[in-house]
Amino acid sequence: MWTEPILHVDMDAFFVEVERLRDETLRDRPVAVGGVGRRGVIASASYEARAFGVRSAQPTAIARRLCRELVVVSPGHGRYGEMSEMVFAIFRSFTPYVEGLSLDEAFLDITGLRRHYESPIDVARDIRAKIATDLGLPASVGIAATKFVAKLASEVAKPDGYRHVPVDVQLQFLHALPVDALWGVGPATFAGLRKLGVITVGDLAEIPEPTVTSSLGPTVGRHLIDLANGIDPRPVQSDSEAKSLSVEETFSSDLRGQDRIEAALLGQSQRLSGRLRRSGFAAETISIKVRYDDFTTLTRSVTPGVAVDSPRDLFSVGKQLLGEVDLSRPVRLLGLGGASLVAASTPRQLRMDSNERLDRLADAVFGVRERFGEHAVDPARLIDMQTEDLESDR
Amino acid sequence: MRIRAQRDDLADVLVRANRAVGTRTALPVLQGLLCEVAGSILRVTGTDLDMTVTTSAEVDVLEEGRVVIPGRLLTEAVRKMPAGQVTIGVKDNDVEIEGNGPRFTVRPLTIDDFPVLDDVVVDGVEVDGEALAEAVGQVTIAASSDGARPILTGVLFESSEAGLRMVATDSYRLAKKDLAGVGLEGTGLVPARGLRELPRTIGSSKVTAQLGDREAVFSSDKGMLRLRLIDGSFPKYQSLLPDTYPNQVILEKEALLDALGRVALVAEDHIPVRLKLTDGGVEVTVSRQDVGGETEHLEGEFSGTDEEVTIAFNPRYLQEGVTVISGDSIRIRVIDGFKPSVLDDGGEGDYIYLLMPVRV
Repeated sequence: MWTEPILHVDMDAFFVEVERLRDETLRDRPVAVGGVGRRGVIASASYEARAFGVRSAQPTAIARRLCRELVVVSPGHGRYGEMSEMVFAIFRSFTPYVEGLSLDEAFLDITGLRRHYESPIDVARDIRAKIATDLGLPASVGIAATKFVAKLASEVAKPDGYRHVPVDVQLQFLHALPVDALWGVGPATFAGLRKLGVITVGDLAEIPEPTVTSSLGPTVGRHLIDLANGIDPRPVQSDSEAKSLSVEETFSSDLRGQDRIEAALLGQSQRLSGRLRRSGFAAETISIKVRYDDFTTLTRSVTPGVAVDSPRDLFSVGKQLLGEVDLSRPVRLLGLGGASLVAASTPRQLRMDSNERLDRLADAVFGVRERFGEHAVDPARLIDMQTEDLESDR
Repeated sequence: MRIRAQRDDLADVLVRANRAVGTRTALPVLQGLLCEVAGSILRVTGTDLDMTVTTSAEVDVLEEGRVVIPGRLLTEAVRKMPAGQVTIGVKDNDVEIEGNGPRFTVRPLTIDDFPVLDDVVVDGVEVDGEALAEAVGQVTIAASSDGARPILTGVLFESSEAGLRMVATDSYRLAKKDLAGVGLEGTGLVPARGLRELPRTIGSSKVTAQLGDREAVFSSDKGMLRLRLIDGSFPKYQSLLPDTYPNQVILEKEALLDALGRVALVAEDHIPVRLKLTDGGVEVTVSRQDVGGETEHLEGEFSGTDEEVTIAFNPRYLQEGVTVISGDSIRIRVIDGFKPSVLDDGGEGDYIYLLMPVRV
């Protein structure tokens, strides 16, 4: 059994690095992503910029004063959401136990990999390597026995490194840190602790518990003392259960007839499949949403028993659901969604009508579309429809 | 209507007919059992429209007539009577159920609402009742219970060279059984749910089976089971059956079932059991992140073109298939970890259980 099975993976200057993928000239220079207007604020700063004292949440004007060469890029150019989905897909290809904290950081419980790797350090190395080769992004990893120590360790590891905190030196590691490094210590709590003479985590661990609880209250006090002693029983909460992904579109002219509606569903199956694959998920529940020209809206859903992520399966389930609604009425909006998401790497029961060759084809099509754009390859049925649209537009 | 009979004889015909009575029915009258008395015979019919069971018994007839009585109440009331004679009769628009002291008064249901069922001319082929019951058990495990795909909730009956062929699939597994020497004509999709009731409703040593355009009818000395056929065409299953299997292993059935019993302690449906087929037998492994795991080796004869092959299955599907295969050994034939595997008894068996693997 590994004693340190928890990873905290934190992308380094995520927004800046995503911008650098788009624009090579931003490399090796102080760069920040943030508002460029008079009241703009820095969202993310490159390590070159941080060397000048540029920090996130700083007004852009101050940042520019600190660093004359600072290049400020306004957010929104980069595909942050999409890149984040891809980063998380990599996490989920290692373990289904992924708890996302934001677009660019997550906890991973890698207990299940102990048969496949010598140590958690090797897992961390592989994850960092995969993110670097596949996406060209740097990430730092903290490896520890608990979530909060792992998070502190990744902070120390930055930039572009990893830090392993073995459980037997965990307290040494913790006690040397300033007390405001602890989770839950904001300015008010910090001030309270300073009054007690607490500067480092080690100081906190040494003073008697009643002193802390009478000053900070029993709940917060107890919690901080536990943290200072390395106690954090919170498990990694994989966040796939609650999540859902969906695509929907409102048509410029209402869709009439089963053929047109199914063709639109086919296109949405392709797009939803792309989003699911990019984020490393498959959906156990599939739903459709239909809004008619009089704005009445219906939804139908089904849980087919196996998780689906391929365009073909999504289309076939979606079509089955369309069979439950009236398709003779004009349709104004159509949507297709997946919920109860599970990591695509979780074992999947195969069906007798699964077709390995079609699955490989779908993989290839997905690859082409990722590289050359959404309409690089389309089912013939959709191409007909696009041509028709063009003609009717004229 | 008024009859008298031994409690246990009455309970038997009522309980079996009541198996066709659903708890949630479209029409209130379907909660009832139709009791018809003529000559010296009590005939009891329960139906949910898809499945109809008719049973009968010789009773003391005090007065002929027909009445529909709420099925569950009637059945339970008779069962809970003291041992001995029980009388059921209509008096002043109520039904009285009386047995050596206790007396129930029950409101009957409207007899005119009870569905009129077409008459059946029993004209089928005779089948060994035990063989039929075994076959039903072997194929219905593979049928789907998902109402969204009605076709897969049925068992295909068709005639084959050997006799009667029964096939069911829920698209994850498929069971195929040949009943030799049963010359049943025609093809039909018989609901698995109703078929499973066959042994408990009219099961007997001799059963007559017939397949019409709209229903399948099974009858015996214990009564009649009528099942409305499912509309639609069954998947073309022949093309799904592989022609050759490069690898196979033969295992002792009891040992495999014991191992799967241990696996089940750790696994759930979505946690696959892995089988590594290699010289000397099979290595069985299951592991679950938050619980732990189990592993063991099963002795067996392996032969194959591959040095070893690993395949993963839903443990429940595997266990269900192994359980219904008759004989002492199980042969598992495998192509690879992505294509269907086939389980049978290793002989020129009349039964195969095809199982899709879990991709891991």
